[in-house]
Amino acid sequence: MYLEFGTVLAFTILGIILLMVALWLQKLLAPSNPSKLKQSTYECGEEPEGSAWVQFNIRFYIIALVFLIFDVEVVFLFPWAVVFRELGWLAMVEMGIFLVILLVGLAYVWRKGDLDWVKLNMKNARGRYRRFAEDPNSNKNF
Amino acid sequence: MTNLTSLNYLQPELILTATILLMIVVDLFYSAKKSRRIGLWALAGLVLAFIYITVSGFNIPTALFLGSISSDPFGIFFKVLILLATIMTILVSFSERDLSNQRVGEYYILLVIVTLGLFFMVSATDLIMVYLSIEVVSIMSFVLAGYLRGNRRSSEASLKYVIYGAFSSGIMLFGLSILFGLTGSTNFFDIRTGLMELQNGADLALMLSTVLIFAGLGYKISAVPFHYWTPDVYEGAPTSITAFLSVAPKAAGMALIIRFFNSILGGEGVFTELEWGTFSAIPWTQLLAVLAAVTMTVGNLIALRQTSVKRMLAYSSIAHAGYMMMALPVLSQQGVYGIMIYAVFYLLMNLGAFYVVMIIANATGQEDYDQFRGLGHKAPLLAILMTLFMFSLTGIPPTAGFIGKFYLFAAVIKAGPSFYWLAIIGALNSVISLYYYMYVVKTMFFTQEKTSITQIEFKGISILVIVLAIPTLIFGIYWTPIADIVHKSLAIFIR
Repeated sequence: MYLEFGTVLAFTILGIILLMVALWLQKLLAPSNPSKLKQSTYECGEEPEGSAWVQFNIRFYIIALVFLIFDVEVVFLFPWAVVFRELGWLAMVEMGIFLVILLVGLAYVWRKGDLDWVKLNMKNARGRYRRFAEDPNSNKNF
Repeated sequence: MTNLTSLNYLQPELILTATILLMIVVDLFYSAKKSRRIGLWALAGLVLAFIYITVSGFNIPTALFLGSISSDPFGIFFKVLILLATIMTILVSFSERDLSNQRVGEYYILLVIVTLGLFFMVSATDLIMVYLSIEVVSIMSFVLAGYLRGNRRSSEASLKYVIYGAFSSGIMLFGLSILFGLTGSTNFFDIRTGLMELQNGADLALMLSTVLIFAGLGYKISAVPFHYWTPDVYEGAPTSITAFLSVAPKAAGMALIIRFFNSILGGEGVFTELEWGTFSAIPWTQLLAVLAAVTMTVGNLIALRQTSVKRMLAYSSIAHAGYMMMALPVLSQQGVYGIMIYAVFYLLMNLGAFYVVMIIANATGQEDYDQFRGLGHKAPLLAILMTLFMFSLTGIPPTAGFIGKFYLFAAVIKAGPSFYWLAIIGALNSVISLYYYMYVVKTMFFTQEKTSITQIEFKGISILVIVLAIPTLIFGIYWTPIADIVHKSLAIFIR
């Protein structure tokens, strides 16, 4: 019953052998004289500097999430617009509900102050960043 | 049924959705202090949905949204159960000490979203809906488990939950894709037809897919090879969330497992005759039986050596998942009946036990056995209630837990000699669990006073504990009303 899987097994073994032969051949034939320049990350570009593991502002993530929401919205809007004529008012109402739900998300982000990029030292910081304006050391109600 | 007419059957879900949107908007206008009131909005929406469901009652099983979800008494039963658990959780969150020093608006919003996800989980009849609803529930639970900002344990709980959750849902997705590849459909009943047409030609692939899918489903009910997240998450999360996670997603997970195996691998005429029957040659019932046995044994054995009562309850909840799973492989209506009755009683006694722990934690800041020492002398009523819950969790008459276990064991034994071993392991496990449940009782009544509790304020959460204790006792003596309701809700959508 499982005889069909024999073909898969043969293919797997053959694939592994082929790969090993190819690697072994190129090791045999190719000249090898590495230098520091050749082994750098960008051989003909920027000098690599420091590690890729750096901390960066968490606000980038929030912006990315907000972008994603509205990006997906557009994805849904396009097919809707194409067939809108045939579906009529019902589709209009349905899309209205969908957009209102997304708008609630936008209102949330706005109110929490995630749409302002420069805010930490401003007197009129809003939402979750408000505490920085009042007391920079506070860690509550974030 | 088409999309628009399906909406007629979806009113509870629509009520919850409207509540969620309203709560988000209203919370934007509340200050951090006022944000607590969002809980009242959540309560209003949940109670409205509860009233709507109970008034409209059971309907004839129907497929909604072109067969992606179904509406049937079986699902409605679990929806009511989930609503009760969420309402309790919100009530108890008002007096949770850990939550008192931060903004809690989003906490209640997330809780209602979990409820909505669980609603879809118990009624899903399509692989995509299964995956979506599990993800909605999981992602919201991740956030809720880590809701205590600046608390290292809470953050650890959340992170562990995310990693295990992502991993197991990935494995489950792989299993679902195999099932789709075998049959070319995502609908449960089309899959069953497709599998019948295969005529056991792909048993190996089907078995693999079943095992992989069970990794995801077992993660939700914390069955044993997938249980590692449970104790850490239960310990770190706010206690109200721990209690919620140990009851509502577990009940919904059991419902989903029953529906999944019943619709896909079960035979014809399910829930109308006593036997499910199974057309497939793969030994999935034996797999479930072994997992049930292992789950309860591991849960009980590790629970023996815990020093924190909250962790002990976490392991005991694993064991209880094992008891419930025990009645599944017998493939009888009686088994499902037992699981449903047990889910009701487990909700009462487990929430009660967790809330007593929460009272202690609110008063002392810890939930070790040490805090329970001498509780019987300082706060006799609370200690007696805790004793009742411990009796019930062990399954000692005359408590509801005994009735629940009785139905489970009856279903297993009635299935014939091939399942006797499972019943024996279950009985042995009940004996093991007796030790650690009674250890709590012994600590409360027969050790020197050490607890720093001076007095228990008789308000809020204490009243809730009494509200849970009364049915735990009454249903142990007179359980006919529950049995009747469960009997009426034994109708699952089948095509």
